[in-house]
Amino acid sequence: MSVATGGAPAAARPTFRALEIDPRLLGMLVALGVIWVGFDLLSGGAFLTPRNLWNLSVQTSSIAVMACGMVLVIVTRNIDLSVGAILGVTGMLIGVLQARLLPEILGLEHPATWMIAVTAAIVIGATIGLFQGALIAYLAIPSFIVTLGGLLIWRGAAWWVTQGQTVAPMDGRFRPLGGGIDGAIGATASWIIGGLACAAILTALFATRARRVRFGFHVRPAWAEAVIAVLACGAVIGAVLIANAYPLPVGIVRRLAEAQGIAWPPGGIFIAHGLAVPVLIAIGVGIAMTVLATRTRFGRYVFAIGGNPEAAELSGVNTRRTLMLVFGLMGALCGIAACISTARLNAATNAAGSLDELYVIAAAVIGGTSLAGGAGTIAGAMLGALVMQSLQSGMVLLGVDAPLQNIVVGLVLVSAVWADTVYRRGIK
Amino acid sequence: MQRRHLLAAGLGAGVLATPGILRAQGRGPVIGVSWSNFQEERWKTDEAAIQAAIRAAGGTYLSADAQSSPAKQLTDIESLMARGVKALIVLAQDAQAIRPGVERAVNEGVAVVGYDRLIEIPQAFYLTFDNVEVGRMMARSVLAAKPEGNYVFIKGSGADPNANFLFQGSMEILKPHIDAGRIRNVGEAFTDGWLPANAQRNMEQFLTRNNNRVDAVIAANDGTAGGAIAALAAQGMAGSVPVSGQDADRAALNRVALGTQTVSIWKDARELGRTAAEVAIRLAGGARLAEIPNSQQWSQGAGRPTMTARFLTPVPVTRDNLAVVIDAGWAPRASICQGVPAGRAPACG
Amino acid sequence: MRTPLVEMRDISIAFGGIKAVDAVTVDLHAGEVVALLGHNGAGKSTLIKVLSGAYRADAGEIRVRGEAADIFTPRDAKKYGIETIYQTLALADNVDAAANIFLGRELVTRWGTLDDVAMESEARKVMGRLNPHFRRFKEPVRALSGGQRQSVAIARAIHFDAKILIMDEPTAALGPAETKQVGDLVKQLKTQGIGIFLISHDIHDVFDLADRISVMKNGRLVGSARCTDLTKDEALGMIIMGKCPPGAVPGPGANAA
Repeated sequence: MSVATGGAPAAARPTFRALEIDPRLLGMLVALGVIWVGFDLLSGGAFLTPRNLWNLSVQTSSIAVMACGMVLVIVTRNIDLSVGAILGVTGMLIGVLQARLLPEILGLEHPATWMIAVTAAIVIGATIGLFQGALIAYLAIPSFIVTLGGLLIWRGAAWWVTQGQTVAPMDGRFRPLGGGIDGAIGATASWIIGGLACAAILTALFATRARRVRFGFHVRPAWAEAVIAVLACGAVIGAVLIANAYPLPVGIVRRLAEAQGIAWPPGGIFIAHGLAVPVLIAIGVGIAMTVLATRTRFGRYVFAIGGNPEAAELSGVNTRRTLMLVFGLMGALCGIAACISTARLNAATNAAGSLDELYVIAAAVIGGTSLAGGAGTIAGAMLGALVMQSLQSGMVLLGVDAPLQNIVVGLVLVSAVWADTVYRRGIK
Repeated sequence: MQRRHLLAAGLGAGVLATPGILRAQGRGPVIGVSWSNFQEERWKTDEAAIQAAIRAAGGTYLSADAQSSPAKQLTDIESLMARGVKALIVLAQDAQAIRPGVERAVNEGVAVVGYDRLIEIPQAFYLTFDNVEVGRMMARSVLAAKPEGNYVFIKGSGADPNANFLFQGSMEILKPHIDAGRIRNVGEAFTDGWLPANAQRNMEQFLTRNNNRVDAVIAANDGTAGGAIAALAAQGMAGSVPVSGQDADRAALNRVALGTQTVSIWKDARELGRTAAEVAIRLAGGARLAEIPNSQQWSQGAGRPTMTARFLTPVPVTRDNLAVVIDAGWAPRASICQGVPAGRAPACG
Repeated sequence: MRTPLVEMRDISIAFGGIKAVDAVTVDLHAGEVVALLGHNGAGKSTLIKVLSGAYRADAGEIRVRGEAADIFTPRDAKKYGIETIYQTLALADNVDAAANIFLGRELVTRWGTLDDVAMESEARKVMGRLNPHFRRFKEPVRALSGGQRQSVAIARAIHFDAKILIMDEPTAALGPAETKQVGDLVKQLKTQGIGIFLISHDIHDVFDLADRISVMKNGRLVGSARCTDLTKDEALGMIIMGKCPPGAVPGPGANAA
């Protein structure tokens, strides 16, 4: 805490500050809360239901995964307009791979098919990203141009793979990556994951505190630490509770019961969906990317390059290699997103990911990533993706048609950036 | 495009006054085709059919690809005219934007066939599949499977006039049933850009809003049908809720065989191409618009001009008549029947 | 004579056909302060950026402790113990002091993740030496004052056992008290056997600190001299007119008159 700013007694400040929560993130959470409650009131209680929230989380996953990478790209003062097209071409390639090529070699529904497809998606995406990154970093072609070209090239390539034909259906073990009934892990597994997550949060909080105490640094007051622990674990448990409150459709449960020879009780049987696989993937990616961005040299270099590219270079950072890797990482995340969206639609279409680049950039920007570079958080971008998806899904729920949805999302994007600008000016 | 033609186009532009200068190339007429874009696979199919039909009549086929640019299509039309075409087949990228070019062609006595997309100039012929009829066929098939209940309408892109024709056709069939209270419209939405992912999200929201009480889905094409079916599958409802579609794309035919999609309306592009070539050749030979067989007067376009048009009848493909598309060589049996259990669809054994 | 710590021999570098540095030779011994003087645009900073690895010379040779050194990037320079405090400070404004001090040489835990706590602790130590009142370790350096930012840049250079220190206009942005602080630091580092290149366009800033001066004009070396062998005015004459006094060894850029 800054002592230098003056002699005002710390106790006079709102105790809230002791929590040291990023006020921007908090602002976004509040905005999200307002949007959710607003839609719930307008839709007569249809929005804040376990089912809708579950759907919303699945619908957000693909964009959220890509937004994580876009944060790093934008932090380095670059842009990637090709993410939707990379998703498209990667989706088509793995669609053909698992629906046409692998069945011929391994047979239909081979257990290894999905793993090969996912690996291929990540490798293809990363390769495309690294290639574009190399052009940007080593040949010094502006990223706007390289990825604008990439948008056209990879979108065209997506069409080329099958001359525009839709490829379906996907492998049965691949489909859970997109959610649906097979892609819900059930109540017990959800509790286990929730429990582990809580344990991890508490361990991390405790370890950080212990380390700071050992070095004699400032730490949050114990009560603040406790509040944060309760809030974080509460969020995890809340998410599990919601996912577990969303039952499998009656028809499916009945079929399951018949298959197991269980008599159908008069009240029916309650089987929960539990957390969705694509959501877990997105959260996993989010955590991994947050660690990468804040806890590794690579992440530190990314931010340093964004703050002052020349300084980073003079400090001995290999800025070109770092930049290339950022785009490679972005490509790999597009590959993961391609798996999610292809599995979710249960089909590979050459138009998949159209306009996703705009939603991904918008998510990152709504989430507080500065287009001037040097600032942005992974968590913010994921929340940004959730805000946009909430708006879109909520408006469909209210029966608002597509053109008006776009108008609203556009307005929110501009207002969010404006609010952020005002906030930044305020702290200067 | 052959270089010789390019060269000739340059020459022709200079000596424009003498169309037909290049007629020596074939015995029959020179027919030009102005494509909007080759980005979709189906236009390649159309082109092959048109080419074959023109060749069979001893004519010469010239073509230009506007690459999705209305401006380029205008110049394309002019250069095709300069190259001495007697009839033009035009797949309009933007019917309004290319109007001047088509008007000039008509004024210079070049016959114009508006191909698949309406060009609202009465002197031009309009050839297409009957999109309103496609809508009717979808509704009939779904209605046969589910005569009453809650219907959801996954419409096409709001920016595409065909989306409205389709919806209009479906409603013609369903209106009496809606009025009688047997069918309820529990949700309708345009699908931005015809994107399956958008259709899926819309369907998910309709299912949520109606708590899964959805009994049938009228989806505007196979892509949006795929999205809707993915949403239904997530609720274990795929296969029990009838879903329509059109285009007979392979993934959809496979779903029809599997039973998750009820019908895909098949518009045989080869028939459209062949007919267009035949119409163009007749017109080039001096026939008047009304003399084209099976033509009719039609004035349902946005500007309500009275057009001479011919509407080809599409074929609804269901599980029972999948053999039609296989026999026609439209799609291979192996891809249609992939993963289909024995006895599920007659065509798959 | 002892082997110099650093020798830069006949260094030339041109940008777009214009010779920014033309066959300049300078050297530096351990525990010595050499001031590189000249007007703005005389080529001092360019010359020194060759040594720090930011630029690559078109011709010439760099020797460290008598051995030819291949310095192509800032990373190479740091391997030879060459640290630079740039005139622009070259700080990443959006991260905190510790992150800047350790930029490119972060401390990591045994899992390979950044050890921020250890870095902050080290940063507190080194900053404590330079600027005992500094407390703003948690804020991005953008929020710091000019003097504080200067301290961070200096801390980054001296924390890693520099053998050769390049200070490009180190006091340009500082007030009198802070300038004195930098002077004290230079003297202290000197006693530790560190060789220092001090770059300035102002003779008054450096004359008392330097053991020797080398003067550049229009990209060429006017001459070099021990500070005891010439007066401030003679040094000024070298800078302004390129006139080499008797006490100095003339270079190729010395005015014939």
